[in-house]
This record gives sequence, structure tokens and C-alpha cells, in this order.
Amino acid sequence: MQNTFIGKNPSVLWFLLGLSVFTVVVTLCSEALGADIISTSFLKTLGKTLCLCLVAIAMDVVWGYCGILSLGHFAFFGIGGYAIGMWLMYARTEDIVVASLQNATLPPTPDEVTTAIGSQIFGVVGSSDFPMIWALSHSLTLQLLAVVLVPGLLALVFGWLAFRSRVTGVYLSILTQAMTLALSLYFFQNDTGLRGNNGLSGLQNVPGLEAVSQATLSLWFFWGSAFALGAGYVLFAWIVSGKLGSVIRAIRDNEARVRFLGYHVESYKLFVFTVTAMVAGIAGALYYPQAGIINPAEIAPIASIYLAVWVAIGGRGRLYGAVIGAAVVSLMSSWFTGGAAPDINLGFYVVQWTDWWLVLLGLTFVVVTLFFPKGIGGVFDLIAKRKGDTA
Amino acid sequence: MSTLLEVSGVSVNFDGFKAINNLSIQIAEPEMRAVIGPNGAGKTTFMDIVTGKTKPDEGRVIWGEKSVSLLGMNESQIAQAGIGRKFQKPTVFEAQTVRENIVMALKNPRRPFDVLFKRGGNDAEDRVRAISDDIGLTGALDQTSGALSHGQKQWLEIGMLLAQDPRLLLVDEPAAGMSPAEREQTTDILVRAAKTRAVVVVEHDMEFVRRLNCKVTVLHQGSVLAEGSLDHVTKNKDVVDVYLGR
Repeated sequence: MQNTFIGKNPSVLWFLLGLSVFTVVVTLCSEALGADIISTSFLKTLGKTLCLCLVAIAMDVVWGYCGILSLGHFAFFGIGGYAIGMWLMYARTEDIVVASLQNATLPPTPDEVTTAIGSQIFGVVGSSDFPMIWALSHSLTLQLLAVVLVPGLLALVFGWLAFRSRVTGVYLSILTQAMTLALSLYFFQNDTGLRGNNGLSGLQNVPGLEAVSQATLSLWFFWGSAFALGAGYVLFAWIVSGKLGSVIRAIRDNEARVRFLGYHVESYKLFVFTVTAMVAGIAGALYYPQAGIINPAEIAPIASIYLAVWVAIGGRGRLYGAVIGAAVVSLMSSWFTGGAAPDINLGFYVVQWTDWWLVLLGLTFVVVTLFFPKGIGGVFDLIAKRKGDTA
Repeated sequence: MSTLLEVSGVSVNFDGFKAINNLSIQIAEPEMRAVIGPNGAGKTTFMDIVTGKTKPDEGRVIWGEKSVSLLGMNESQIAQAGIGRKFQKPTVFEAQTVRENIVMALKNPRRPFDVLFKRGGNDAEDRVRAISDDIGLTGALDQTSGALSHGQKQWLEIGMLLAQDPRLLLVDEPAAGMSPAEREQTTDILVRAAKTRAVVVVEHDMEFVRRLNCKVTVLHQGSVLAEGSLDHVTKNKDVVDVYLGR
């Protein structure tokens, strides 16, 4: 038992247990099963939160374990969302167009169908031609591959250039942020062919599953997100627990020393950066069908900074810390900004949480970094220590 | 004995300051060699050049039977070729246990996928045990290395060097900050290592060098001032001048 994977990583078992219980409870309370305790929209929020937890553990591995403060992982998340969104939008529009053209007196030529789909999708940006970037959008398999491969390739090329030049620390963070900004500006352009600032919409409708109600569909996505989070947790726990974990933590603490041990530091960084980017892409591909819409604002640099804030608040260098941070902060964020939080009337001024939430979040971040550098996850250390003292 | 490392005619400029000036040193295998010299003599820069941290402006650094030049290789390639280095300040990975530190250093394939899938190898535990016995840290294997005393950290770092199974060990001031008893043990470890490999020790402390009982190279202003037994070099007039400051 001591030497097995679970024996060395007791948190994996606890995490999977907790996640399963959570999934079962949410399922039993969902609208799809007739219980009206959790509304479909809240179910979607929970499913989305699981995806955010997944990208947060990826961020924790790259930052908390390997010491690369990447401010670009939410861009990889967004790319994953766009990749799946392109298929969702194309296939659904195709269904609609084919159905509406069926009543035409002359059967439509394939060209007419394509043009009709094109003008449906790109009408908002005043075009009807399919840009090159949509060449694979008719195929679910290819777009699913793109979910993993596009973020992976981008991370590989970017990481290779950056790590090879030995850019580290804050300079690397700035570089990743520049990449994110460039990407979001690129996605904003109408010429890019991704509908500019309109983004992709209607993603909650899955082609071929029109007969399935949104309540059931949301439940399926929730299960998918829970499974992905569980699998991602096990994968990362496996990566960081063995000797490779030892090496990447050593790189975080003293990169130069690791070189003199004979390890090619850049390959390790590149491996971690790329694998986490691919997982971020998968998380995004599960998130955006639940959100229903994606636009370039989603991958603006601020989103990647939020990601770092979640991980810092949850506790760096421990996977469950990242999960806690992402879940707590993102759920609180949607509570405060969704108008559900009661405004505080001070008489002379009304504190509206939609405006003040960011201030609260900023203060929390400052307090946590100053006084609880281990984050919320550090509380578990205290509990474990107490137990150890009494035992 | 055959020549393992040959440094010839090497010079390094740091913004006009000649840290190393036409330096030539040969190290055989096996051999114990002490390198001494006043501050700024270029001892650490010499190690930086051999391990690939600093690239010289001119000169050659030749390694092994096949006479490979080390100048075209990066730090990790040089380490894999068989050169291990211990730094002046003990640099172990303090957040990790003694065992993790040694396992990381063990001679094994170093590429990410090798490390990910072959977790240490079957004999890893035996090798870790042998090394920890050698450096006297078997009882502390599962301790966080940050909790070790200064002397123990120095030994752990020497143990990590041995775990790499290098042909050449470059050891920078191994006895700094150690008690007399700890120094003695450090000498033993190094002398034992030098029976099968080349060991180069940079040291300030003459008493420590005397106990190593080996050939000594005196560096001054980036080049070799004298070479020979400790008694021989301490009688050399130039060396006396440099050390006593004329």
C-alpha cells in the first residue's frame, strides 16, 4: 500500500470520492430527474465550475509545481472552446438550412447549401464565404482533435521559443500575457473569420440531439465535466507524484542546479507547458457548450490573470488547492455579479456588489498572499498537523 | 592514469576584466587534485567553464578518450557526459526529502518521458541506500532536506554528486562552515571517491588541503602560478608572495 500510487497520494482517493458524491447528489437534485431543487441554469453553472477547476489544476501544475507563471492558459481554454464551437455552429446551421431548403421547388445544389450556411453564420460580419480556418468545421472528429492539438501546438511552439532563450520569471509572464493579448486581438478581427466580437453562439444546442431537453443535455455535460475533472486530477497527480514531479519542483526552486544534474530543463518545461495547455483546451471545449456563447473577450489577458488568482487563493503546489480556489472564487463571483447578493445600504452610499466584487476579490488576493501564502489549501496542512500532534 | 580533462590556453573576459588568463590544467583519471588561490584567482570561473556555465573567449577544453570539446555542449549535456559539480553554497532542493534529492541525481535516463514512465528503476532503492550509507544520512532519508544541518546539506550534495556516478567531480569549498569532525568525514568521502574517479577540490583552507594529501595547483590572476605537492608549492617564492601579500 505504501508504494502504490494511491498510497503515496491519499488526496486522489479523497478527491475522487468527494467528486463522485457531489456528482450523484447534484444528479438526484436536477430537473432532468424531476426533482426541482437545482435549476437547469444552476446545473450549467456547476458544470462550468468543474471545467474551471480542471483548467485551474492545469495552471497549478505549470505554476505551482513547475514555477512558470503562465498568463496564457485561459487563452488555451478559449481556443478549445472555439474549436468545438465551430463544429457546433456549422453542424446546427447546416441542419437548419437543409431543412428550410427542402421545401424549395428546385432541389438545392451543394454550392447553394454551402452559401446558405455561410451567409447564416457570417451574415453578422457582412460576409458569406467560408474562411480557410473553417475548413475542418464539418467534421466533429477533426474539431475534437483541434481542441487538443491547436492549444498543444501553440504551446509547443511558443514554449520552445521562450524556454530555449531562457526567458524566466516575470519576463516569461509578460511574454505569455503578450501572446494572450495578441490572440484575443486576432480573434476580435472580422477578417480572422471567427465572427469578430460576436463570437460563436447557440453552442448549447447540440446537432443531432434536438430531441433531448436542455435539462437532460446539461446533466450530460455536467457528467462529462465531472469525469474530465476526475481524469485530469488523476493524470496530474500521477505526473507530479513521481520522479518527474520531483524534477519539475526542483526546476521551480533552482533551475540552474537541475541543469548541473544533467537534466535538460527546457524539455521539462516544454512538456509541462504543452500538456497543461492541452488539458486547458479540453476544459474549454466542455465549458463553452454549457455557457452557450464564446467571444474574444473570454480570452482577454484578464481571464488568465483571474486563473492565477484562483490558484493563489486556493493554494499553489497542491492540486486540491487549485480546485478549491477555482470553485469558491468562481461561484462567489457569479453570486456577487449575478445580482443575487444583497446590496448594502450605508445611508450615504449603496454598496452594489456588481461593482464592488472586484474590489473584494482584489483585497482577498492581497490578504491571502500576505498572510496565508499557502492559500485555502494550507488549512488542510494545519488539520493534518493537529492530527499528527494528538496521535 | 590517462588524461581525462585537458584545459589549454583558456581566457575569459568579464567586461575587460581578465578572470581567466591563458589557463592550462590537465586532470588524470583517477586523481585527486586541489586547486587553491586567493579570492578572485579564477577558481570558480574555472569550474564554470568546465561545466558549461561560462563560455571562454579563447582556448580549448577537451574531455575523455575521444577528445570531445566541451565548449559546444550545454550544462546538461556536460553533466551527462560525466562531470558533476558541487557548489560553494550547499544547493540541495530544500523542499524535498533527502531520498528525492538522491533519486533525482541517480544516473538514469534523463529525458522527460523516460523519467515519467520509468520511475527510478528497480535497483534505485539499493543505490540510494549505498549512497546514504556513504554520506552518513541513511537515518534522514525521509526527512525534508531543508531541515538538515549545514554540514549534512554539504554531504547530501556530495552524495548527489556520487549518485550521478561522474568520472570527474568538481567540488567547490566542501569544508566551508564545517566542524573539525565533519571536515574529517568529508575528507574521507572525497578520498574514497578519488580512488576510482577524478576529483578536483577548490579550497581556501590549507589544513584541509594538507589532509587530502594530493597534487596542488595554485591559481593567481586567472592562470597557474605553481603546481606540485603542497610542500613544494608552499616553498615557492611566488606563492608565498601572493598569499602573504608581499
